[in-house]
Amino acid sequence: MPPELRRLFAILAVVVMGIAVVWATRFDSMPPADFSIQNGTDPKTLDPHRATGQPESRILFGIFSGLLQMLPDGDPDPETGLQPMSAQPAVAKSYEVSDDKLTYTFHLRDDAVWSDGVPITSADFVWSWTRMLHPATACEYNFQLFSVPFAEQFSSGIVNVGDRCEVELFDRPNPDGTTEADTGELNIQNFPRGTMLYGTLREIRKPSEPEFDDSVSEEDREDAMVKWQEKWVYVLDIANVSDDGEVDWDGPTTTQTFTAHANSPIAEPDTRRIHNVLVAFSKLGGVETPDDRTLVVNLKDPLPYFPSLTAYYPLFPVPRHTIEKHGMPMWTKAENIVSNGAYVVGLRRLRDRVRLVKNPRWFAADEVAIETIDALSTEGQNTALNMYETGQIDWVTDPPTALMETLKKRDDFYAAPMLSVYFFRMNTTRKPLDDPRVRRALAMAIDRQQIVDQVAKAGQVPAYALVPPGIAGYEPPPGFKPDIEEAKRLLAEAGFPGGRGMPKVTVLYNTSEGHRAIAEVIQQQLQNNLNVKLELQNMEWGSFLDKTNQLDYDIARAGWIADYADPNTFLDLWLTDGPQNSTGWSNAEFDRLLKAAAAESDMATRMKYLSDAEAIWIEEMPVIPLYFYVGINMVKPRIKGFFPSPQDLHPLHLMSIDDSADPKVATDRQVTPRVVASNPPDLAVPSQRTSVSIKPIAERASAK
Amino acid sequence: MKDLLSYAIRRFGWMLLTVWAVYTVSFVLMRAVPGNPFSSERTVPPAIERQLRARYNLDAPPIEQYTDYLVGIVTRGDLGVSIRLEDYTVNEVLAEGFPVSASLAILALVFALTLGVTAGVVSAVYRGSIGDVALMATAVLGIAIPNFVLASLAILLFVFLIPIFPAAGWGTLRQVALPALCLGAPVAAYVARLTRAGMLEVLGREHVRTAFAKGLPKSTVILKHVLPGALLPVVSYLGPATASVLTGSLVLEKIFALPGIGSHFIYAATQRDYTLAMGMVLTYTVLLFVMNSLVDLSYAVIDPRVKLQ
Repeated sequence: MPPELRRLFAILAVVVMGIAVVWATRFDSMPPADFSIQNGTDPKTLDPHRATGQPESRILFGIFSGLLQMLPDGDPDPETGLQPMSAQPAVAKSYEVSDDKLTYTFHLRDDAVWSDGVPITSADFVWSWTRMLHPATACEYNFQLFSVPFAEQFSSGIVNVGDRCEVELFDRPNPDGTTEADTGELNIQNFPRGTMLYGTLREIRKPSEPEFDDSVSEEDREDAMVKWQEKWVYVLDIANVSDDGEVDWDGPTTTQTFTAHANSPIAEPDTRRIHNVLVAFSKLGGVETPDDRTLVVNLKDPLPYFPSLTAYYPLFPVPRHTIEKHGMPMWTKAENIVSNGAYVVGLRRLRDRVRLVKNPRWFAADEVAIETIDALSTEGQNTALNMYETGQIDWVTDPPTALMETLKKRDDFYAAPMLSVYFFRMNTTRKPLDDPRVRRALAMAIDRQQIVDQVAKAGQVPAYALVPPGIAGYEPPPGFKPDIEEAKRLLAEAGFPGGRGMPKVTVLYNTSEGHRAIAEVIQQQLQNNLNVKLELQNMEWGSFLDKTNQLDYDIARAGWIADYADPNTFLDLWLTDGPQNSTGWSNAEFDRLLKAAAAESDMATRMKYLSDAEAIWIEEMPVIPLYFYVGINMVKPRIKGFFPSPQDLHPLHLMSIDDSADPKVATDRQVTPRVVASNPPDLAVPSQRTSVSIKPIAERASAK
Repeated sequence: MKDLLSYAIRRFGWMLLTVWAVYTVSFVLMRAVPGNPFSSERTVPPAIERQLRARYNLDAPPIEQYTDYLVGIVTRGDLGVSIRLEDYTVNEVLAEGFPVSASLAILALVFALTLGVTAGVVSAVYRGSIGDVALMATAVLGIAIPNFVLASLAILLFVFLIPIFPAAGWGTLRQVALPALCLGAPVAAYVARLTRAGMLEVLGREHVRTAFAKGLPKSTVILKHVLPGALLPVVSYLGPATASVLTGSLVLEKIFALPGIGSHFIYAATQRDYTLAMGMVLTYTVLLFVMNSLVDLSYAVIDPRVKLQ
């Protein structure tokens, strides 16, 4: 290598470094928003039909509006400061309920428009709900509409001979103007749909069913069955559809055959290729649109909490014109998304923020006080608190657990009971926990007050039942009492006097400091009180869920946040073989009571059924309830209109900014010496755990 | 020049091979661990899970998934859609996060080199003085203290006690300064020690004694005759330094709430986001391989004794 080249190389290296530095220090900076929220993490998606967690819901409640919305109703609870909320008009200006509580008639506002000016009609709701329920949308909250006739059948894709069905032909339009029929390529966008035909299912022809010997694994078996089902040929009597979309079910029909498989062995020459045959949910009167401004919903069960379901985002309308134009998930990009809430999405940057901008076309835009809001994806608890203390964040949703005791004393700290419960599942299919007496003994011997006071520390409420307090009209059954003597007696009765002979029981929890601390306290208490030895086992989130779902555990921690303000959201978890059950527990009387409650239109009787069901549950104790969570928030005094609420809902459009209320912030948003002086090291030192382990979003979604 | 070219080609071949091996191992490992991208506390009904699997081609036989995905990467540079961040493709995630991580890494490295080399030269020249002892003691501390502890101390000091930097966030030079310092500090410490050792070795050489004997000014001798030789170990350390800066940023990105790609790495793994995790692993592999090759290359250019093999 000649020396000149070497010198050239040195110069080159310096130049490259210089360019790199110049590039690295160029930023497109952005002025901060008027109001910044710690949103915990990135929203998984902004599609209301695909979202599940809290970070998503905070944004979705801001950018979309449903038929109704949850708003403050009445005075705050003097004891807890909790502001009761109820479902009040939003896109619907009013609604009526029939006497049998089965028919809801919603009247839509005349001035309800999407943020691009397109009016919102009742048909938008039917379309949105159809999309929400469609199997290929895979909405996890689809069950919220299952009280509408045929919704469950449509969503699960089950059809029986004799059902009135819809058939989607294999000709979904592609973005380039062609259709699937032209190209032969599958388009996975389930909306816009291909040509729809309606008719009554006459027959399902099936090729010979695949047979398996014992060596075939479960997975392969399932796979083969799905492939086999694809080859089925459906015979339908196709009915005529009038120009306005009405199906003439009883009129003249033509018989046709269809199959989802490209070349099914039993297809006839005129068998048409389709995507699927589903129950014709949208044409069977569950939801009706007499005109553009009226939406009629005919329920099959008198659901007292149906209005509040319409105020929850899975039932919100989504913009058909935008989704059909851009497809999923492109329609949720900041530059494409059209919404109908108080705010619209201005910008989305991963791991950074979602910027919300006031929507001038919202029907109550005059009442919206804050122009721009940043939902920051800040994850670190300490990071968020540091930013709060230095004025970069106005609302912390997840303060550091280690500092709870110090923070709890501050005026800007809000802790209020929430409809959610922390519990331990027990595997009732395994010895010794298959014996209710053992389960009760364990539950009774735990001192929850100690856990709440010394571990959780934010003012959680010890739980001696399943349903959290604070649901209007619900009279909970008397729970159980912590009673060590009784626990000892039960254990002896079950054949383990003084804990002797009791098999080893393992407590499984997902890796987290908080869960470990709680499990350790319980381990200690049961050892001291009952002489029962627990082993602790922690597992990373994915493996933990697998173990729990496959009933491969003794005791496993869990948490549940109410989906709606009704005891049913906690009770129906434990239905026999329910998807969330995962304990192996089953009780026919319990199932019967829940079913009776669902069909009951009298509010008081219904609540009585639910309360009786909970009493059975407490008697049988398939899980150990530990405590009811509290919703914890820290909000700067300059933010007005924030109040604690039972479901931790905080409507953004009710908030406003008053800089005079926070002189410190108004004069200098950089320093707050007060806290630093009181507790400097803790404040700034992110513990090793929070800096290297990241809590899965899903966990945050259903249980903090 | 010719051996340079053939070296580059050979390294490129090795890189493809490495990336392919990494791809294969990651693919197998990811599917071998329990759990799947759709597990959550709220159990997803089987029908819905089937639909989701179909959407992400996870219902195909593993071999087909393996080849389909590989073909997509090779022919279209398409790393697929992220399963957990469903509004984004993996390419979009990388495009948004990579510049941030790169900026941070560049600033940290430049800072580390500038500070480290300066400190190393000073302490070698004034060997044995109080300054030398102090600098080297600091350097040992710098190597020993992990960067998240350093970050906490720095936040305490420069955000709360002397409020000159914001606590976190991204978008201005002031916001990036603190994380870059914390990320670069351990590297700087190591560079300082390497420079000092290299300087001392070269200072004892005969050509340096000759230069002094010729009556050249001290600064000329140091800069022209000592430093180039003394920097060789530093250059060879740049490869590992890049690796340490890239992996170190995972932690700092979280503490300082920076929108880089580091945190996606952990997220993707814990949430079984197969595509995103694969995208991250491959990106890091390519990045580290390229940086190491560049370092080897420049090493050969600077040091006439090194032959490219």
